[in-house]
Amino acid sequence: MNRKDAIRLITKKVGKQPIVSANGYESRDLFETSDKKSNFYMIGSMGLASSIGLGVAIKNPKKRVYVFDGDGNILMNLGSLSTIGALQQKNLVHIIFDNESHESTGGQPTHTTKIDLKNIAESTRYRVFKTRSKNGLQKILNKIQNISGPIMVIIKIEKSNKVSNRVTLNPINIRDRFMNHIR
Amino acid sequence: MFDYFQSLGIENFVGVPDSTLKYFLDQGLKKNKILIATREEESIGIAVGMSLSKSHSLVFMQNAGLANSISTITSLVQLYNIPLIFLVGWRGYLQGDAPEHRKIGKIQPSLLKLIGLKSKIVTEKNWQTCCKWSFKQISNGFPCCLVIRRTSL
Repeated sequence: MNRKDAIRLITKKVGKQPIVSANGYESRDLFETSDKKSNFYMIGSMGLASSIGLGVAIKNPKKRVYVFDGDGNILMNLGSLSTIGALQQKNLVHIIFDNESHESTGGQPTHTTKIDLKNIAESTRYRVFKTRSKNGLQKILNKIQNISGPIMVIIKIEKSNKVSNRVTLNPINIRDRFMNHIR
Repeated sequence: MFDYFQSLGIENFVGVPDSTLKYFLDQGLKKNKILIATREEESIGIAVGMSLSKSHSLVFMQNAGLANSISTITSLVQLYNIPLIFLVGWRGYLQGDAPEHRKIGKIQPSLLKLIGLKSKIVTEKNWQTCCKWSFKQISNGFPCCLVIRRTSL
């Protein structure tokens, strides 16, 4: 399964709930696959998707907030896991597309080749699910509908053979449509 | 100052503690209104999420944390023009401050100018005016910074 396959399955379940999507290929693939006003695409500030998602989740307790993160991204902000875990943010679903590499900078390896994020997230009091297959992902997506967060879904993905285009919206436009959607 | 910010309409106070801001933080903690994050960049991220939800937010930190946050300010707060108040403790303001604070304390005013973050220095006399000014900035949609000097060691 590649990132786009996974994103297609997830966005079907997400519906109109907000998604905060990390910089790099997460945002590009989401933009190409399922652009919505409820998507906040990050361009810079690598590592902070889960923090922005937490802020949105705290202020919108009736919505389920999804974070689309990468392995390189979350490894830059592991402190965020301890904050989210300590707060036990019920309405946060943190999805990690783990290709074990910094794909957008040339495919350099990340530590998830040797370190299991699942153990780290569980020790910060997340409910963690992990899969490699479409079938497995589908089952997890059904299951988590009735579980309260913080939830982490780690999806081991293959590297993509085709790169998606950059997000063509300008940042102010991304901000405004997200803000207007959310309230 | 904490109560005054609240009365103006600031709802969220997120950051990393600094001894310069001790009294401010104590008051906020007493009211259970302070969210402490692990790093300044993380704090800014959380506050951005709150501001995107149309809820006024303030991020507090020491100036060492301001140095940590430059890329987050330029590539998130300023790129998307997110209205946020930064409240920064100015260590290294006095020459005799601890060695780790001296360099950043010295370059802090030019650093703020260089990144283009509007700022004011808070004193005993002008603090209310500063709070009002900062609230006006974010109400008009712009981020800004208030600096509190560490005037005793």
